[in-house]
Amino acid sequence: MILAILGIALGVIIGVYIPITYSATYSLYVSVAILACMDSVFGGLRALLEEKFDTGILISGFFGNAILAAFLAYLGDRLGVPLYYAAIFAFGGRLFQNFAILRRHLFSRLFNKKSEKI
Amino acid sequence: MKKRSKYIISLSVLSVLFGVLVSFQTGQDVEDYKLVSLSSIQMMKDEIAGSTDEIENLNKLIDEKNMKLNLMKKAIEEDDDSLEKYINEETESIKLVAGLKDVKGPGIKLIIGDNEERQLIGDNIQDDIIHDSEVQIIINDLKNAGAEAISINGERLTYKSEVKCGGPIIRINGKSSANPFVINVIGDPELLYSSVTAKKSFGWTLKEVYNKKVEVEIKDEIFIPKYDWLDSSFKYANPIKEGD
Repeated sequence: MILAILGIALGVIIGVYIPITYSATYSLYVSVAILACMDSVFGGLRALLEEKFDTGILISGFFGNAILAAFLAYLGDRLGVPLYYAAIFAFGGRLFQNFAILRRHLFSRLFNKKSEKI
Repeated sequence: MKKRSKYIISLSVLSVLFGVLVSFQTGQDVEDYKLVSLSSIQMMKDEIAGSTDEIENLNKLIDEKNMKLNLMKKAIEEDDDSLEKYINEETESIKLVAGLKDVKGPGIKLIIGDNEERQLIGDNIQDDIIHDSEVQIIINDLKNAGAEAISINGERLTYKSEVKCGGPIIRINGKSSANPFVINVIGDPELLYSSVTAKKSFGWTLKEVYNKKVEVEIKDEIFIPKYDWLDSSFKYANPIKEGD
């Protein structure tokens, strides 16, 4: 958990100092992909708390979801249908779900620890 | 336990990757998508129409200049007599533009003057007399309505004419003029008339709000004298020769 947060902070710092830019036309695809990555990271954290360790699923989900989301956004642009909404709703909904489960796990852990101490 | 540590490491690496992506995207300076409303589309259309109009006018100007150029070439090719005629014509037209010729034509006669009633409008006597600035605004309105020649109390307005406050009088072309001011204008009489009598126009405000004298009369023929030069030499402005 702490490692993940530290990792995100480290990544942000690295990203700020690496001068890479891309065309603004791609920014929509990248933002949808970021949403997918965020979903994967949260899902990974949840799995960590649930003690289900499957590295393969985590990594494939991270990259696969990102690529699929970006592809959907691109396809939507081509067809004139805002298909990236699908990705936003799917990943956004799951993000909140994962976060809710994460909270419950954390609170139950805290509560258990306290009860053990007492 | 080995499985767990492997999982944690990969999760951390992915987190780092995620952070990098996020910071890339936020540092991207994505421009805001502007909302396009119907009124903005209309405004854009109006702007385009204005620009096309301008282009058309410029094209017309080019045609005109080309015609003139051809005329000049012809005049040069033919005998000396036609060249002289051409130059004379040109001089006459320039004189007309510069206000150096007496002109007459349809227009309006406008008389503006101080408030003649005993009752004052405000506390200040200044509110009841005609000022140079008011004359200037009226003149501007008339010019906007397409006035071709203007004279105030017999003084022809040229590009050089000043309308300046001189205490109880107004100085025009360096000569004193006193209330009331008779402004003769040549142009489209209807347009000129409405430019000073239309509701909310400056002339209307002078008459109805400040109770000053504003009388307008449409005339079939108005005489406007030429401008008399006091000193026609240019001290500072030097013409630019072509090719310089």
